Amino acid sequence: MITWSKDRAEAAQRILGSYPERRSAVMPLLYVAMAEYGYVSEQAMRDVAELTGLTPVQVSSVASFYTMYKREEVGRYLVSVCTSVSCHLLGGDDVLHAVEAETGVPHGETGPDGTFSVEHVECIGACGGAPAVQVNYELIEGVTPEKAVELCQWLNATEPDPLLGDEMQALFGGQRSFDWGPSESTGSKGPVPAFGPYSTAGTDRLAGP
Amino acid sequence: MSERVTITVDGIPLEVDAGELLIKAAEDNGTYIPRFCWHPRMKPVGMCRMCLVEVEGPRGILLTTSCNMPVSDGMVVHTESETVKKAQEGILEFLLINHPLDCPVCDRGGECPLQDQTLSHGPGESRFVEEKRHFEKPIPISDLVLLDRERCILCARCTRFSDEVSGDPLIEFQSRGNNTQVLTFPDEPFASYFSGNTVQICPVGALTSKPYRFRARPWDLEKTESTCPHCSVGCSIEVHTSQNEVIRYQGVDNDDVNWGWLCDKGRYSFESVNSAERLDTPLIRNASGQLEPASWPDAMEAAATGLASIVEAHGGNSVAGIGGARGSNESAYAFGKFMRTIIGTNHLDAQLGDGLDPHFLVGSTPRGVINDLDTAKTIVLWGPDLKEELPVLYLRVRHAAQQGAKLIVIHPRRTGLDDRATFKVVYKPGEGPALLNKLVEGDPGLAEVRAAINEGPVVGLVGRTGLTEDPRLAEAVAAFLRELPKATLMPLARRSNVYGALDMGVSPRLLPGRVSSASESGKAALREHWGSLPDDFGRDTIGIIDGLADGHLKGLVMMGSDPVRDVPSGNRAAEALSRAEFVVAIDTFLNDSAAAADVVFPALGFTEQEGTVTNLEGRVQKVTQAAPGPGQARPDWSILEDLAHRMGGSIGATSVNVLFKEIVTVAPAYRGLTWVDLEFGEGRDGLVMPLEEGDQPIQYVAVDPGLAPTKAPLALHSARTLYDDGVHTRFGPSLERLVGAPMAYLHPDDAARLGIPDGGEVDVETVQGSARVQVGFDPSLAPGTVFVPFNQGIGQNLGSAVEVKLEVVS
Amino acid sequence: MKILTSRMDAHPSDSHTISRYLATGGYRSLKKALSMEPADIIAEVKASNLRGRGGAGFPCGVKWGFLADVHPRYLVVNGDESEPGTFKDRQLLERDPHQLLEGVIISSHALGVNHAFIYIRGEYPKPARRVQQALADAYASGYVGRNILGSGFDLDITVHLGAGAYICGEETALLNSLEGRRGEPRLKPPFPAVEGLYGKPTIVNNVETLSNMPWIVENGGAAYAAIGPEGSSGTRLFSLSGHVRRPGNHEIVMGMTFGELIEDLGGGIRDGRAIKAFIPGGASAPWFTADHLDVPVTIDDVAKAGSMLGSGAIVVMDETTDVVKAALSVVSFFAHESCGQCTPCREGTTWLENMLRRLTVGQGRAVDLDLLLDVSDNISPGLAWPPRQTTICPLGPSAVSPVLSILTHFRDEVEALVTTGVSS
Ligand SMILES: Cc1cc2nc3c(=O)[nH]c(=O)nc-3n(C[C@H](O)[C@H](O)[C@H](O)COP(=O)(O)O)c2cc1C
Ligand code: SF4
Ligand code: FES
Repeated sequence: MITWSKDRAEAAQRILGSYPERRSAVMPLLYVAMAEYGYVSEQAMRDVAELTGLTPVQVSSVASFYTMYKREEVGRYLVSVCTSVSCHLLGGDDVLHAVEAETGVPHGETGPDGTFSVEHVECIGACGGAPAVQVNYELIEGVTPEKAVELCQWLNATEPDPLLGDEMQALFGGQRSFDWGPSESTGSKGPVPAFGPYSTAGTDRLAGP
Repeated sequence: MSERVTITVDGIPLEVDAGELLIKAAEDNGTYIPRFCWHPRMKPVGMCRMCLVEVEGPRGILLTTSCNMPVSDGMVVHTESETVKKAQEGILEFLLINHPLDCPVCDRGGECPLQDQTLSHGPGESRFVEEKRHFEKPIPISDLVLLDRERCILCARCTRFSDEVSGDPLIEFQSRGNNTQVLTFPDEPFASYFSGNTVQICPVGALTSKPYRFRARPWDLEKTESTCPHCSVGCSIEVHTSQNEVIRYQGVDNDDVNWGWLCDKGRYSFESVNSAERLDTPLIRNASGQLEPASWPDAMEAAATGLASIVEAHGGNSVAGIGGARGSNESAYAFGKFMRTIIGTNHLDAQLGDGLDPHFLVGSTPRGVINDLDTAKTIVLWGPDLKEELPVLYLRVRHAAQQGAKLIVIHPRRTGLDDRATFKVVYKPGEGPALLNKLVEGDPGLAEVRAAINEGPVVGLVGRTGLTEDPRLAEAVAAFLRELPKATLMPLARRSNVYGALDMGVSPRLLPGRVSSASESGKAALREHWGSLPDDFGRDTIGIIDGLADGHLKGLVMMGSDPVRDVPSGNRAAEALSRAEFVVAIDTFLNDSAAAADVVFPALGFTEQEGTVTNLEGRVQKVTQAAPGPGQARPDWSILEDLAHRMGGSIGATSVNVLFKEIVTVAPAYRGLTWVDLEFGEGRDGLVMPLEEGDQPIQYVAVDPGLAPTKAPLALHSARTLYDDGVHTRFGPSLERLVGAPMAYLHPDDAARLGIPDGGEVDVETVQGSARVQVGFDPSLAPGTVFVPFNQGIGQNLGSAVEVKLEVVS
Repeated sequence: MKILTSRMDAHPSDSHTISRYLATGGYRSLKKALSMEPADIIAEVKASNLRGRGGAGFPCGVKWGFLADVHPRYLVVNGDESEPGTFKDRQLLERDPHQLLEGVIISSHALGVNHAFIYIRGEYPKPARRVQQALADAYASGYVGRNILGSGFDLDITVHLGAGAYICGEETALLNSLEGRRGEPRLKPPFPAVEGLYGKPTIVNNVETLSNMPWIVENGGAAYAAIGPEGSSGTRLFSLSGHVRRPGNHEIVMGMTFGELIEDLGGGIRDGRAIKAFIPGGASAPWFTADHLDVPVTIDDVAKAGSMLGSGAIVVMDETTDVVKAALSVVSFFAHESCGQCTPCREGTTWLENMLRRLTVGQGRAVDLDLLLDVSDNISPGLAWPPRQTTICPLGPSAVSPVLSILTHFRDEVEALVTTGVSS
């Protein structure tokens, strides 16, 4: 039995309708389920299985393939530090260590109070602004170890919600890969990426014949 | 015939079928290319990379996997070049760096492709100094299977089998890259009817089965080819024994039948062969009414005297025989001959009231074979849930549907094939005839189905969807289907050698060799061989039970049958047995029916006797002796011969060979069959015995009997499930646990209407009996249907009546 | 000359909006394309000599020509951009999403496609939001949907988000991912153009490749082919990163040398240091050294010099770089991103990673250098360029590139690690 909020249950039906085959909806539905439960719980995978007609293990087989589907509870702020080659060359590892030291959370783990999860990630496409960090998948480029520490302190102190990438970039970022243009008021609400509305189709998908 | 092309493998020109996979073409011509992930019965995935070869092409020499490379004319292949060898050694080294060195304690040690290939293709010593991957050592993933992820080489054979072949995707790869592992979902065990196949095809010891674990070392095993006796599909198997004990069955790849697969019931039923509960001495009912062990002469004397006195007092046709479907053709033939010539009765039946018209079952025309499925455009299944009743036929249908055949499934409930069906039609029991009429008449609501059915070649799989269904509906369905383009029919009955027993004439309506018992010329021909043949009408099993119950019949001989458990109205069968004056049972177990007998003879069972069996296609295959059998148990035909002797006659059953020779002389449809053919010739995959005009065997042309639908406010659907209360599950410790709890299933809307909660208790009542059970919801049912699995402790009390009432208890 | 980035350069504050797009000539090419025969559009694309910008550099028109004559058929946009060093598609998605959409609609019309998919990596929420908004606006304005601009042509576009798997950039892994499966590359043949998404003929193209379509339709294939040197026509967006003064994306006409690109566009090496090595085309590419600064930036020249232009990502390392650690970073990337289905990649990349890690922490052995090479050889036999492979897809051999690069160009540094036990 699926107990998602009405909005999410409706989104799920829209998503299922966006593909020629139901199975294709597994990934977007996992995002919806992750938003619902905060992470991809066993129940989340059972729900997605029910919606797509797969078995739960087929869903977990897919979910466990992709690193963004977190199968354990995640902190309010998921801090992801890039350590791939361009960031590595410009000190990504130091940024990671600074974040670990400031939050007291080693990479791959979540702090006991549930505020932070820390991870090092592979290239997030911000090499021109290395080293790069994402918080709840919102990007900050050109982060120094010092700025990373301030970022963590700020998150802890102000508990921003939603979390805006442009704001964080202005406060803690530096060199960017390119001009970002105007700033946005859309941001993430919780440790799931904020592409919305968890729909993957054009919003005005054609109805009828 | 496919086109032939010439390829060159290691300098040798070979002529092979165009488009065949290189790995197979090479192997069939003597060049074995090593492999782990490739399996001839599954789609290639090219994952292990062990089968690398070099192929010369327009753009130079290409290093490529041979398991997914179709051959083409002029292809030049090197399987042993330096590059190939180096690459293969490299792959093997990669596979071994994380593989534990526990061959001495591994079930697979001695028959392990990884071990073998390491010896023949592997590098000498390990250059890997890093830490190996660690996982928790074997974890149970079902009641039958254990998984050791450290040994796993991630060939995906098990996951692919479960997903593609058996349709139970319950084990899958998890995580990725170097952390990839095979696993089940928490609390969702690998409960597949086919799980044993994954153990068999695992190329290492990652998957092991509980019933076999640590029981033997491969080099100690003796291997005997035989045929699985557990349903009428007749899968080819190898019986493995060690020190005269059956240790396991392995599937054998029979092109025409099972492709190497088995169901778990068949595979693990060997445990019942070794059961301590097996009958190993004759039993006689003593003065105080208890069965007690007796000597063979005493038991023979008692049985012969008991039967003879009834025959003397009331005539031969006051005695009946039930059985024959669980043994070999030779036993069945002996049984029929014993009943007809020694006792002098035509009351004999191998079916237990769950079957179809015997003429229809063995004489339907045009009769199809399993391989027809692969060339069919359309498959219509209006009959049992094959996954439950004929599991490996289910796999073959599934495969055909996956290859593009249109599959139409018509059944009162969900079936295992629904996910592959182009169309699924659900109907309420009793309303089958109305549905058929709509289909025949081109009802607009069924237009799409009808259009799909009209494309041939069509294979019609027809049988009873359940035990409350009028058997004549199947005939009406067949009458419709056989008129479709290039149609062939496969009438379906499930019990092991029931087709063989019917072919041997164990039916009131049949004589050996698919001859009607109404055929005067057939009777005359048989009398020539047998000397005598009773002329009276004969009763089928239900008639026999009625006759015993109302006193028209006095005596009963059962051979390998358990009417109390297996007849749709089991309580009535029990009552009939208790009324009978004298009952003889020949069996391997003291089942519920045998327990009511006056004399019980211990018989040798499967793996303990030679003989032939006949499957649902009419294919004759061999069964072979592999173990001695318990105590004083004897072949059933020889027990019958002894009994005949004591009664002053003989059925000439001095050996299986003699019986076989008599069958191929006496039974028209079996004429010309030789033992040698079956054992060595092209008949190793079995020989389908066709009907031949000259001998006038029956050629049953299905006609629509014109049934009226039965309208019932609540209708009962009662059908068998794979694991039931039969002896082979009950007396096998591993399978026993898999039998479901007795339940009745309702559509949730009906339950709501009747105010029955999920898990509530009800009394289910038909005119034939009642049972108190828990209720489960099943939205796949047509509204107005009650589904009760048969023979899980309750179904048999409800009989075959369609109309049913529910009384809510709680 | 700029094709792809001129709008965002001129209108930094709103280049992503439909109003700006329309005000700057947007969807004009679509109107033109809808009045053309599909075959004529394909002919223009062929004439343009546009080569794929996703990495393999396959001529786009030729690929389109392979599309099997079966319907339905699909167009899939590869926006999974995850090759370390690459961030060009991100800019195109974020700053000019309509340009891509127009390219997708034109291409779908040309290819007879009625359902296209845009696969964007999950780590790109902002680009995804922009594309989703642009798509909603395009639907609302009738550029996507039923009977587009009255032409009778119907098209649905679905945006599909990845979830953290580099391998999904490989086109067949991407298709599996889109089908709701693990992102494992498929065996080829069959190629997607014959059997792709849902087993139907499918064209997979990179974001940048398709973003060129409005220009090509507007100006003609010949005009596009005339830009830049033969074999590398058109402009291309290069991602420059590492130890340069001015990292970032640069749209250029190909043909200048790497030295010029790094010096003139990248502002040279930071802190006045010297260059030690650079990766010319994303993490999969074999490394170049200072000796290669004269190589012209064209697909064919780079290939001739033993590497590839790949995804157009140039990663520059200065003289202070610990190349073993840098190589370790790249190898562990591939080990982490291996899908794990094929043996040599699953086992071999992790083995290489473990050995390099041991080297960097002073636990290397003299035999490890040859072992590194031999394990590499078992993934990529002959260690040649272009690589042969024992694997299903090129990811495994990609992990070999950095190993081979440091052992070819900086073997003494690696050897020093073994003897002294410390990173120099
Ligand atoms: C391991 C691997 C990763 C790849 N990643 C990407 C990618 O992120 N984006 C991309 O466009 N192409 C990527 N490709 C190339 C695609 O497979 C494919 O060639 C490309 O999307 C085709 O588009 P194009 O012809 O327009 O370049 C990758 C290939 C491989 C082997
Ligand atoms: S080379 Fe690596 S990524 Fe590619 S298919 Fe094989 S295991 Fe997967
Ligand atoms: S047998 Fe060919 S790759 Fe495994």
